[in-house]
Amino acid sequence: RLWTDTDLVRHYLEILSKAVREENE
Amino acid sequence: MTAAPTLPTDQQALAEEIYRLMVAQGALFAVDTPIRQTLANLAAFLARREGRDRAELEAVIDAALSADSRFTREVVDGEVRFVTSRQGAYVPRDDTDTHSFKQRLHEPEHPLPIDDISVVVSTSRPAITTVEPVYISDYWQMQLAAAPVESEAQAVAAPEAPAPVVEPVSEEAPAAPVAAPAPVVEEAAPEPAPVALEMPAPAPVVEEPAPPVAPAPRPVQPPRSTVFTLSDGTAIDLRRPVDEIMAEHGELLAQVLAERLEHDPLQRIVRFGRKYYPEGSLASFGKNDLRKIRDYILERNEPLLDTEIIADLYYHNPRQADYEGFRFSLNYRLHREKDFEFVGVEGAYLWATRGLAITSGKRVKAAEMGQITSYLVEGYDDSPELQSIEAIRQSGNVTRLLTFFEWEYGVLPLDAGLAALLPPPLLPDQRSAVLRFESPQHYTTYLVEVRFPAGNRGGWLQGLEEFFHEHLVPGALITIARTGEPNLFHITYEEGPEQSERLLTFDEKKNRLAFANVSFYCVVDEDQLPTQSRYGRLNRLKAFPMGERRKAELMLEHVSEIIGDQVGTPAEPRYAVTLDDLYVAFNVLRPGSRAYLKALLERGEDFSADESTPGLYYYAPAPRASTEEVEEEEEELPEERPPLRQRYSSRYDEDE
Repeated sequence: RLWTDTDLVRHYLEILSKAVREENE
Repeated sequence: MTAAPTLPTDQQALAEEIYRLMVAQGALFAVDTPIRQTLANLAAFLARREGRDRAELEAVIDAALSADSRFTREVVDGEVRFVTSRQGAYVPRDDTDTHSFKQRLHEPEHPLPIDDISVVVSTSRPAITTVEPVYISDYWQMQLAAAPVESEAQAVAAPEAPAPVVEPVSEEAPAAPVAAPAPVVEEAAPEPAPVALEMPAPAPVVEEPAPPVAPAPRPVQPPRSTVFTLSDGTAIDLRRPVDEIMAEHGELLAQVLAERLEHDPLQRIVRFGRKYYPEGSLASFGKNDLRKIRDYILERNEPLLDTEIIADLYYHNPRQADYEGFRFSLNYRLHREKDFEFVGVEGAYLWATRGLAITSGKRVKAAEMGQITSYLVEGYDDSPELQSIEAIRQSGNVTRLLTFFEWEYGVLPLDAGLAALLPPPLLPDQRSAVLRFESPQHYTTYLVEVRFPAGNRGGWLQGLEEFFHEHLVPGALITIARTGEPNLFHITYEEGPEQSERLLTFDEKKNRLAFANVSFYCVVDEDQLPTQSRYGRLNRLKAFPMGERRKAELMLEHVSEIIGDQVGTPAEPRYAVTLDDLYVAFNVLRPGSRAYLKALLERGEDFSADESTPGLYYYAPAPRASTEEVEEEEEELPEERPPLRQRYSSRYDEDE
């Protein structure tokens, strides 16, 4: 997945958060 | 060349005359170029010249020329024309190329079908050499397409190792698919403990016989935890906003990811400094590129910024979309070359090359200087007592008094105060950085090399010798301040009225210290100024070779003996010396902090403190050994001490 620095971590966390959010919905 | 037609004599003469007329008209034509004339024009010309009837003459000319093989008759739009050439009858030129090599070379007999011309030939010419793409065979492409796609959530919950079957916490085993609970999300507990720790004793998954029920309209997902733990037990709830997670765990996650990328066997994502970039996207630099860059750095005779190298050698515009990628590639490539050394800091990537003298003056070898300043890494750095680290970081400047050694050699020990002001090394194995020191008072600029501490070696700055000698004296107060640029600093001092003093100087030719008249225009600390009136015996100090000056105990004994007041007897000498005087004199021969001097005095067997007067010490040297004993000791020394390169790390070997 690692997508155009902490920016790599942030990007991956956003992917994970989105996956969790979609699953909950 | 002209043909000899067999015609009646008068017709023959007429044809000959007309032929000469037409050849005269086309005298400048090529020999095989057609010369055309209409029958009407010819008849009109001859009728006027000979006074004959034009219509009659037309018929005669037509008959004569039609019978002559040198002429070709043609009718265009009802008008009769005759064509000839300078070589006789006109023969059209045959331009047919009988050679077929070009055609056979460029046109294959059985051409392959193509969808896009760029598949066959490159339609653009790259400015630099590029990495050819690696084509993957159809077999592997199909294998890849058939592989199951792993979702992100699964990737996290079940990463590398085969995960054990984990039951949902506080849920009973569902009796049937239809009775399975809806997807639930754990409520955020005040302290989200790792899920695995809450598990009861591991129970095997038992499949109970399902009663006959109607199939559920939609398969229900088992509940999945959104709290994950790192290897050190840190729990992270992915339902929290990303900004919060980053603020709390960002550094730890960055560390984990950096380690993961570093240990990736395929090295798909490579690193330079804090930046990461796909290895496959790196621009290629060949040997010619590296030689060109090296020659350019040597030609400019100073370390160059990566942006300068790109602009001057590759004419790459920063507005180009691939500029940052190209810049990363250049830095990554140069970092892997042994001929280049990175001497930059965050925000200013500078490159030096082998054979480039960064700062003038090699009076102090790096190996010796690293050992001389080792007291800084041994815990005797008292610079924060003079100016707190916090104050330096906030104000962006550091102020310090120059000692004689610093002034003489243009060297500043890299103590905690300076380290707080100057940028840290960008790369883990970085040996030095080159900064630019500007004097706003004199509009001069100096390249200053910062040597970072390594292992048991201290760090220091070098390259200010010229500035110190030109404008300052020992005891002057200098201020080093940050600027808007990461590698540019201002060095200033307080100017004062002209003063003349007899000050300590070092005569390098005679290798001895002496007092000389010096005029200076800066404010000084009188206690630190090595004047003859105050420190009259400093010129008796022996200018030891730098290798000897590493031995701090030996230097302290020598200094105490020279500048101390003799309070003993010639048979049993005893010298009284204050810490302040010791500090000034010790720093003539080598750098040393007050804390370091105190430690040396406390552990020196021949030194004792005066209990009634703080800061006063006595030095009572032990009776000297006889000459024979000294010689015996010297003979044994080489056997006991390993060679220099074994005693110290190889880091500075090349400097020796």
